[in-house]
Order: sequence, then structure tokens, then C-alpha cells
Amino acid sequence: MFHVDLDDLADLVLDPDATPEAVRTHVASCPACRDRLDALLDVRRLADGEPLVAPPDRVRDRVLAQVRDADPGAGTADGRRPLSVAGAPAEARRSRNRVPVWAAGLAAGIALVAGLGLGRLTGDAPATPEATDPGTVVAAADLTALDSDAARGVASAVEKDDTLTLRVSAEGLDDSDGVHEVWLINTDGKRMVAIGFLASGDTGQFDVPLGLIEQGYRIVDISVEPDDGDPTHSGVSLARGELA
Amino acid sequence: MVTGVREFEEQDDVVRSLAARLVAGDESALEVIYDRWSALVHTYALRALGDAHDAEDVTQQVFVAAWRSRHTLTPSASALPAWLIGIARHKIADVREARARDARRSEAVAALPVLDAVDQSADGEVAERLVVRQAVDELPDPRRTIVLLAFWQGLSHTEIAETVGLPLGTVKSHVRRGLIQLHQQLEGVRHVPR
Ligand SMILES: [Zn+2]
Repeated sequence: MFHVDLDDLADLVLDPDATPEAVRTHVASCPACRDRLDALLDVRRLADGEPLVAPPDRVRDRVLAQVRDADPGAGTADGRRPLSVAGAPAEARRSRNRVPVWAAGLAAGIALVAGLGLGRLTGDAPATPEATDPGTVVAAADLTALDSDAARGVASAVEKDDTLTLRVSAEGLDDSDGVHEVWLINTDGKRMVAIGFLASGDTGQFDVPLGLIEQGYRIVDISVEPDDGDPTHSGVSLARGELA
Repeated sequence: MVTGVREFEEQDDVVRSLAARLVAGDESALEVIYDRWSALVHTYALRALGDAHDAEDVTQQVFVAAWRSRHTLTPSASALPAWLIGIARHKIADVREARARDARRSEAVAALPVLDAVDQSADGEVAERLVVRQAVDELPDPRRTIVLLAFWQGLSHTEIAETVGLPLGTVKSHVRRGLIQLHQQLEGVRHVPR
């Protein structure tokens, strides 16, 4: 059963009378959709605040003066760290000690999701799926470039023996510097997980946790990642497609 | 739906790269971060403390502390504003403690504790209201105007269509997308994702 999408939930907040009966019935009986609806209602309730008040310019001057005085070495890339599978949880532990309580849970949560993907990475498994039992293709996506509709290959999610494998076979990826990393982006537009690198540049297969796609991680994204030790998405996507 | 996701992600990428630059010690990133979030932090401190001088001090302390503890920031889009608000919350608590100490010292205890209790219980909502306000002000026009008329002024979609001279369907779609964008910004700073 599919959930009600955010647009329809928004309409339910904005114009409940015009909402189709089927949407209302589903929301009434679905805790997940009810939660999302409550969150939207919360936004509506909080949407009455006065405009923000900027601090006087002298505060900015003081901040910059204080930072420059105390930190003459500023500007060096001293925050870099190597990318490793163990990196994400260690980072989360360190953050927990120093980040305010309010933000600590968030930081740890993000690291945990990233770790989940990396931990399950099958690495440079040979891309010869035809040689064995092909399993069942439960979803597939045509990959296209982001700035045009140029074809960039295909991705398929294959279920076999209670294992879900994402097979990526990309083409025409621009071979600029950096490695190609595969991500699954949630259709909520807020969450993404890294599932591994395309070791050969354009093909790879990755075991992913069962249920990930059902949770909305349906958008396959291939990014080019510079070798800068930063485990987050570079922001440069070469191809994308939604599993359906 | 896909359009919405992309729109939001582009925004996200900007914030994520700012966070990464800050962590890497790029001072110009601190300036950009200050320019974008100092009003949020300052207004939060102003509402929580009710004193212009203290609010300025807290704002200054928050951004200096953000710089000094930048290594603790996870470079992700949603973590950055949540992290700044978290630092602000601590600095505000410090000012309140100092005030309580001063009050005890001068034995003028009567008025302060009550006021502070009220303030503290409302703090979470104060911060969230400010985040929503910032989010609406960052929307591109005409969406910003339309959302302000709909939510802040309480005008109907028909009244808005007449005011801004756009078709009713266009107005509805701006209000819908606007609500979702405000939602995404707010969820980004809530500590437990729903
Ligand atoms: Zn549902």
C-alpha cells in the first residue's frame, strides 16, 4: 500500500473539504501518514512569527576580530579526515561529547544511516549476474543525466534469498577526476544513504537492507566524489533515476 | 514531486558545502554562515533573554563558539542550523544562570525565577517559530508574498489571487509548495527526524 504523498497531505491541511475521500480514509488509519500530517499542521500553527531582527553590524565585526585574533592559522584544511568504513561511527561518538545535547542526536543519526550503507557494501563484486540465478527484479530505474534527458544506463533492485541487491550499469558518465559513488535518496528529499563505489567506473552491485526501498529510498544517484576525505555527497550528480 | 525534491536538494547542497567548508577551517564560510543565521540566533536570544545587550553578547559568543568547535559539526545540511540553535540554547542558559547568581547575591530573587520558568518552557517553540519565519523570508517571490498572505494574514486563496493578480490554481500551488518547504526546513532542525 502506498502512502499519501506530501502534496496531498498539504492539501488536506490547506483545504480539507476538497480532499478525496480515499486520502482521508487512508490517513485516518495510517500512523505514518498521520504523523506527517501532524508535522504539516505544526508548521501551519507555527507560521505566525514576527520577522527576525538582525544584530547590529558591530557584532559581526567583533566575531570576525575574535576569530582572527585567536586563530592565525585559519584557512588551512585541518578538518579533513580519511574516508573509511569505521569513520562514520567514530565521528558520531566524538560529536556526542562536544555537540550540544539538542543537536547530538541528529548528528549521530546521520552518521548511523551512512554507516549502515557502508557496512553492507559488497565492494567490487564481479558484474556477471547472468551467470547465476538472476533473482526477481522488484524495481528498476532508467538513469539519465540531470541537466538533460540523456540516457546514463540502468539500475535494478533484485530480490533473491531474502537479499536485496542494487545492480547499477551506467554509461556515458563523464570521466572527470574522482570516483563514482552510488547513493539512494529518499523521496522525502531529506535523507540519503551512500551504498558504495562503482569500482570499475560504471558498473557495480550492492547489497542493501531489505525495506530500504519501501522506506522511500527510491532515487538512485551517481555522484562524482573528489578524493578529499569528505564522506558526504559532493553535490555533483552525474546520473539519477527513480526506482519504480 | 521530483521537482520539489530537486529544488530542496539544491538548497541542501549549498548548506552542506558551507558546513564542510566551516569544518575544514574556511573563514569565509563562517562569514556566510553568520550572514545567513545571525538574525535567527540574535532574535532567539532577544526573545529568550529580553535584553538587547545580552542578545548581542550571546550572538557574538555563538558564532565564535561555532568557529572554535567547528570540528564537532557533521557536515550535513540539516545539522548546521540545528547545531547553531543548540549552541545558542547553551549560551542563553549560561546568561540565565549568571542572572540567577546575581539575583541571589543581591537578594532580589522575587521577580526573576518566575519569568525564567515561563521563558524556558516556551523556548523550543520560540526557536521553531523563528526557523519557520526565516524559511518563509527565504522563499523566492511571489511565493513568499503568497505564503505570508495565506498564513500570516489569513487571506483565502481567492482573496490572494485578487491581491497578487495571479490565477487561483497558481496561488494554490504556491501555497502548497510553500507549506512543504517550510515543513522541510523545520524538520531539518528538529532533533529527532519523524
Ligand atoms: Zn500511509
